[in-house]
Amino acid sequence: MKPAVILVGADKGGVGKTTISRALLDYLAANNVLTRAFDTEFPRGTLKRFHGPITEVVDITQTADQMRIIDTLNAAQVKVSVIDTRAGALGGVLKALRDVGFLDAVKAGEYSFTLLHVLGPSIASLDEISEVAPYVQDANYFLVKNHINDTNFFEWDPVTHRHYFEKVRPSGELTIPKLNEMSYEQVEISGVPFSTFVANKTASGDPANQSFVLRGYVRTWQAKIADELNRVKLLDLLAGRD
Amino acid sequence: MNHAQGWPPDEGEGSYAEMSSNPGDDSVQAEVPAETFVFICCAPHGRVGTSTTARLLSDYCLATRRSFAGFDADPHEPDYAPRFGERVANVDLANVQGQIAMIDRLLVADREPKIVDLWSRSFTRFFGLAQEIGFFDEARGKGVTPVILFHADGAEASTAAAYRLAATFPGVETLLVHNEGAAPLGGQAGERLANERLAAYPPHRRLKIRALDAAMRQALEPNDLSLSWLLIDPPREMSLVVRSGLRAWLQPVFSQFRSFELRHAFDSASFLS
Repeated sequence: MKPAVILVGADKGGVGKTTISRALLDYLAANNVLTRAFDTEFPRGTLKRFHGPITEVVDITQTADQMRIIDTLNAAQVKVSVIDTRAGALGGVLKALRDVGFLDAVKAGEYSFTLLHVLGPSIASLDEISEVAPYVQDANYFLVKNHINDTNFFEWDPVTHRHYFEKVRPSGELTIPKLNEMSYEQVEISGVPFSTFVANKTASGDPANQSFVLRGYVRTWQAKIADELNRVKLLDLLAGRD
Repeated sequence: MNHAQGWPPDEGEGSYAEMSSNPGDDSVQAEVPAETFVFICCAPHGRVGTSTTARLLSDYCLATRRSFAGFDADPHEPDYAPRFGERVANVDLANVQGQIAMIDRLLVADREPKIVDLWSRSFTRFFGLAQEIGFFDEARGKGVTPVILFHADGAEASTAAAYRLAATFPGVETLLVHNEGAAPLGGQAGERLANERLAAYPPHRRLKIRALDAAMRQALEPNDLSLSWLLIDPPREMSLVVRSGLRAWLQPVFSQFRSFELRHAFDSASFLS
């Protein structure tokens, strides 16, 4: 298996990038894929709060931090790296990856690169799609519609759709289902990964006292996300299987 | 006499066992089943007797000197909750808070029976949720024994709902309740037709609650009438005829509950297997 980078990003804030990164890390862990994560929400790091042991907070615009990610891809035992980009940074991160030669290395087959592009409900998301087009020619590029915060997505008008997708061909679309507010908030308060919440454990591994109903909702939500990721054969893509 | 009147009664105040038709049998009192039962009184249609069954089960617990925790899932016109004060919580399963208040409590294996009067309009929601969050599997894992008391009403939709439940939750014990007063299946044609209609349901064990005449039904209405107290110390103002009629109505129902418990006790007795 060649080293793989999964970038979760959007230029718009509040579309659920970190939630999707968290769900993705749980999915990979559940499938025994060792993963490390980079949180580019420097210096705060929301992702690190939930997945502390495997997450580093980085400033992707800084050369030193770029080296921490890219130069360790081959050396690291952990072959999958998830990068959660902060709001507004997707274009910058992609540019940085191109400038350091990562995208060329992907083209040469050294690395696998997957972009989960989280869409917002507005037409501005379509502009984002055309902006990322130059960077994803050799990537597994997925458009992600996140319904977790009850977003209603615009209908894809065929003419508009053609216009924007002339330059880019996504590998597919992922739909993240809604999780009810109370369950979501309780996981937020707990500050643990979704899977830890479902297992009724605290961050330190001690038994917690979470509601079975809320855990049930989260478990069902995770199962639906896993179905989506299985549908697009994410694990096969990461393993380099066609 | 109402439920606020100090239950379980003190020693010497009497109990269902002492008042039963077999006065020598005092095995009922203070005997706590090893299992934690969750009784879900339900039907896809209203006015078929779910609240009556929940009430009878609750009074059976009290009459056998055991506490219970009840849940009335009709947030609009609760009939069960007002009869038992703080013992029964009124919950709205349409919101997550209500679901947590009820379902999390149902999963506590403390040997205290839980009794749910499921509003007919919450029937689909509850069982859908139970399937979604894996309620019955979790219950089994925690040593809780859920029992569905499905109330027959003779409509084809009721029969279909019973089959759907049986198919969705195959391992869950279900009793088919026939309340002859609330849902008379036979009508004028009588018991034979009722049996034919019951035969159309999945082959569950049955619980039969006889019909009461109008005077008895009226006597049952007041919220502060405790059926468990009625057996021991009936209200003095109550007609002797009504008293004995209600007792005659209660005894077979309580006997069926008792036989249910005994069957479970025998089933769990490893030395008999």
